[in-house]
Amino acid sequence: MHTLPQQLANGLFLGSTYGLIAIGYTMVYGIVQLINFAHGEIFMTGGFGALTVYLVLPHGTSLWLALPLMLIGGALTSVLIALGAERFAYRPLRNAPRLAPLIAAIGLSLALQQAVHNLYPKATSPRAFPQLAAGPWHLAGIRIQSGDLFTVLAAPICMIILALFVQRSRTGRAMQATAQDPDTAQLMGIDTNKIIAAAFGIGALFAAVAAVCYGLRYGEVDYSMGFQAGLKAFTAAVLGGIGNIYGAMLGGLVLGLAEALATAYISNVPGMQQLGGGSWADVWAFVLLILVLLLRPQGLLGERVADRA
Amino acid sequence: MTTTSPTLALLRRQAAGTLARLEGSAPAPVARALVAGGAVLTIASAFLSWTWTADFPGDLTVSGYPGGLQWLTVATGLLLLLQTLAAYDLPVLRALAPTGHTAPLRRLALAAFATTWFTLAAIAIELGGLANLTTGGFIAGLAVLPALYGALALPADHRPAKAPAATSPWIERLWVTLITAAGLLLFTYGIDTSYGELFEGYLIAAGFSAAAYLKSGLFERGAALLQRQRPFAMTAAFVAAALFPLTQNNDHDANVGVNILIFATVALGLNIVVGLTGLLDLGYVAFLGVGAYTAALVSGSPFSPFHNAQVPFWAAALIGAGVSIVFGVLIGAPTLRLRGDYLAIVTIGFGEIFHITVQNLDGTSGPKITNGPNGIPQIPDISIFGLNLGTAHQLGSITIGRFANYFFLMLIVTLIVVAVFSRAGNSRIGRAWIAIREDETAAEAMGINGFRTKLTAFALGAALAGLAGTVSAHVTYNVVPDPYVFAGSTPPNSAFLLAAVVLGGMGTVSGPLLGASLLYLIPEKLSFLQNYQLLAFGVALILLMRFRPEGIIANRRRKLEFHADDADAVEIPEQGSGPDNVNLSKAGA
Amino acid sequence: MTDVTTTTVTSTAAPLLDVRGVTMRFGGLTAVNNVDLTVGEGEIIGLIGPNGAGKTTFFNCLTGLYVPTEGTVKYRDKVLPPKPHLVTQAGIARTFQNIRLFANMTVLENVLVGRHSRTKEGLISALVRGPGYRRAEADSRAKAMDLLEFTGLAGKADHLARNLPYGEQRKLEIARALASEPGLLLLDEPTAGMNPQETRAAEELVFAIRDRGIAILVIEHDMRFIFNLCDRTAVLVQGQKIVEGDRETVQNDERVITAYLGEPLESVPGASDSTADDSTADDNDTADGAADSTENDE
Repeated sequence: MHTLPQQLANGLFLGSTYGLIAIGYTMVYGIVQLINFAHGEIFMTGGFGALTVYLVLPHGTSLWLALPLMLIGGALTSVLIALGAERFAYRPLRNAPRLAPLIAAIGLSLALQQAVHNLYPKATSPRAFPQLAAGPWHLAGIRIQSGDLFTVLAAPICMIILALFVQRSRTGRAMQATAQDPDTAQLMGIDTNKIIAAAFGIGALFAAVAAVCYGLRYGEVDYSMGFQAGLKAFTAAVLGGIGNIYGAMLGGLVLGLAEALATAYISNVPGMQQLGGGSWADVWAFVLLILVLLLRPQGLLGERVADRA
Repeated sequence: MTTTSPTLALLRRQAAGTLARLEGSAPAPVARALVAGGAVLTIASAFLSWTWTADFPGDLTVSGYPGGLQWLTVATGLLLLLQTLAAYDLPVLRALAPTGHTAPLRRLALAAFATTWFTLAAIAIELGGLANLTTGGFIAGLAVLPALYGALALPADHRPAKAPAATSPWIERLWVTLITAAGLLLFTYGIDTSYGELFEGYLIAAGFSAAAYLKSGLFERGAALLQRQRPFAMTAAFVAAALFPLTQNNDHDANVGVNILIFATVALGLNIVVGLTGLLDLGYVAFLGVGAYTAALVSGSPFSPFHNAQVPFWAAALIGAGVSIVFGVLIGAPTLRLRGDYLAIVTIGFGEIFHITVQNLDGTSGPKITNGPNGIPQIPDISIFGLNLGTAHQLGSITIGRFANYFFLMLIVTLIVVAVFSRAGNSRIGRAWIAIREDETAAEAMGINGFRTKLTAFALGAALAGLAGTVSAHVTYNVVPDPYVFAGSTPPNSAFLLAAVVLGGMGTVSGPLLGASLLYLIPEKLSFLQNYQLLAFGVALILLMRFRPEGIIANRRRKLEFHADDADAVEIPEQGSGPDNVNLSKAGA
Repeated sequence: MTDVTTTTVTSTAAPLLDVRGVTMRFGGLTAVNNVDLTVGEGEIIGLIGPNGAGKTTFFNCLTGLYVPTEGTVKYRDKVLPPKPHLVTQAGIARTFQNIRLFANMTVLENVLVGRHSRTKEGLISALVRGPGYRRAEADSRAKAMDLLEFTGLAGKADHLARNLPYGEQRKLEIARALASEPGLLLLDEPTAGMNPQETRAAEELVFAIRDRGIAILVIEHDMRFIFNLCDRTAVLVQGQKIVEGDRETVQNDERVITAYLGEPLESVPGASDSTADDSTADDNDTADGAADSTENDE
């Protein structure tokens, strides 16, 4: 099972999920220069929202029918929480020094995590997520599970929708304008508050999709899944070029591939026999981040932005 | 300032309206008499019994003397009475309110009110109903009302403080001693509280009273006094801290004391990085871990791969600090050239990597160095000049237990860190750090090598944390990976450390010390919060940032007072990096 | 004040600042296009031009904030490394268009930071606090107070920078820049937002600075200020230097008139709208502008 094509495929599946989450980070950072620490938890609540929908549907409903509803449920949850966070935790701090919204974000992340942990029924340990009764398929020696298939379909579709939205729609163009120059955008009549809220909302939407991908792939959702995934996703966003949505997905894919390959093959490098395997995967992800920051800090698709004195 | 929502503004207006109506609703002498009388009544009511079952801790069932929480009512009542007598313009007591009587009286009345009603509410809630209160309880609840009303009815009388009469330096030193002693008593009482309700009541009473003295101008006077007598004040504080373990009957409180000191010292180190230089280090606890693990590895513990090494403690401390510096430079060198937000992510990443690495170096997933999740136990006690810190010693009739020994050692480390912070902060490099925090571009234009200066701060912070870590390894007998995470239920962890610095007040010396104490004690004492601790913590952080981002000990520059009346002082437009509400000036409050 | 003439220093010595062919491109936008400029010892040179002409960008190229896409910047005949702190160490100091003081530091502390490049006491020295450290600190303090006296801020040494009124903040920025003992001072719109008295005081301050032996390169929009002060003035339009010379040369240059020189002296809003296509209006404006300046001059 550890053939190169399989590893590459694993990396793609993993990376697509990272990429979808990374979009949320990159959109928010691109517009308000805030690392939304709580985005990982927004991803997590999306998963629980989807799970809740599944649980309230009549027993025995086919997952194929339930899946769209779960997506909607998850999206509603994450978007509402994201909008609430923006409105009540971040907006009042928009003119405060950099540290204040960051700390508020940390607080929010903790609060959301613990709220789910304490208040969601039986969430103290991971809760089982329904699995699609199909597959696994084998294609060219690669084993594809149902969750992977969903991911590999969902991610590109989301990216296409996002690209169309950003480039064709009024809101999308307004977002680009606000990201480049918020003051002028306001002077042009753009309601920056709404745009910022939209950025949060869209990010949350894709995070919810990612959460469903995650749930289908791993068969469970856990209150702590947001922290690790969030960190990786932000790494992916930086990798691809912060503020660039295509970079976010690209970064995600690169990160996923790097993790998968490192996990499988690092032990073959002389001297690093014991540094392979799953327990070191996260370490390699961060090493990659540091390398990128050293060699190409603007990320793969980013551009150097001149600072106005 | 932060934007207020319309609802909040409406509530504020309504509150202000109600207060305005109350103010002056009774003539001033009557109001004052009400306050005085109410204070006496409140004190008296504490001598009654408030409940008739012993289920509520503290034994409030006895008439004739106060018990448990009732003592807090007595204390706040006495303070209120004292302040009211000051309002009667009695010669000596007049000095209790340099900037006007009404504001402190209102807050002290609130203190008495809040403490008493909190106790009554706690009784009712815990025992299940108002029926659990005796008549005495109801009397107490009522007794405090005339004082509150009277205080609210007093006319506002804020006035600028007159310069205090000059007193001889020896009298000033006497005052400093008294202030320090009071601080020690307050702190010891807080640590000694044996049940959660008492601690909560204590926080309420202390909080409102502190606000009262802040508003009365006494804090300013006290702070100025401490500034004038700085060396003496620092010595007094050190002596007071040294006396702390001697006031305890058991070693448990000394244990709490050591942990607070470790936590506070590390917070102070983080204060250099975050508070002075403005670097977002979110993985700081990893440096503490580096120090701890280094000390453990060279300590001679049988579980360490280097157990043949027998390194004296002072060498271990230096090695620990040194290894931390190395890691600090490794992390800082690539990232400090970049935007500050990237540093945040990289430092979290480093924190995570550290945690994962020490867990993995257990012989299976990696070379066997740190013994994985089991950690390195059986760390021998430190021996200094032949004195083994692990065994209790006798000093006359006082027993100095194991934790007390380590407390004294840690106190010296804390002193070193405070000295480093103070001296570095108030120097050329300290100014460079603050300049970078304020505006890095302008700082570079002034000839400051931004990268090198930031790296110095980062490395220094790492060194101090590493130093504290070496002591903590010996205090806790063993070193495990668990505490060195970003956020967890027990301090120290990176989120808690950051919160301690922010809560206490960035850039000041006493800020992180206070913040660390509070953040350590609150989860420790309020065990009912157990599962909801982190949730409460998270919510508290959000609220703190929303309403008081400068923390508790905001470094108000005294000179700002002079500007309130200065006709030339025009409010200047935002300079982009000029924060309104994060008030950070000279290091070393 | 009115008797001080602006002298043109004709020196055959190497210029203090020698800028050749500096170009700054941001992607597709050329903000500064092939600009040459020299500043001699003790000269006061003005740099004017419409908003967005690239003047501040040019400054940033000189101080290492931006690395010029093309061209060289030489100070005292040495090419400067493009790092702001090294440029300051070499002897060029600057102020900023939007005041960039250290808001939460006191006035004195701001100036002390300015002395950073002329002192060298590091962390170890600060911790040990030997006699060398004490001497250096005392010396820095003395020099800083001297600068505060020079700029008239000595009475407010302990006030927070952000509590100063606007005019004094600008003075503080200058004092802070002077603290690094520069040979060349770059002033970016030092009189923006000042009333006539403050502008007058600023003029005196600049002359006093020159008297201390420091050359000055100043960006400004206030024409009277510029022409009172400067030995020579260069005009930047859309990134290019279109003319340089003394007052007559600049004021009478066709291109300058066309492009820009219609700004009324007291910045009355809407009083001048210099557009290239309406040359009649421009001529009228220029006539007014020129007439104003001759009337109120000297």
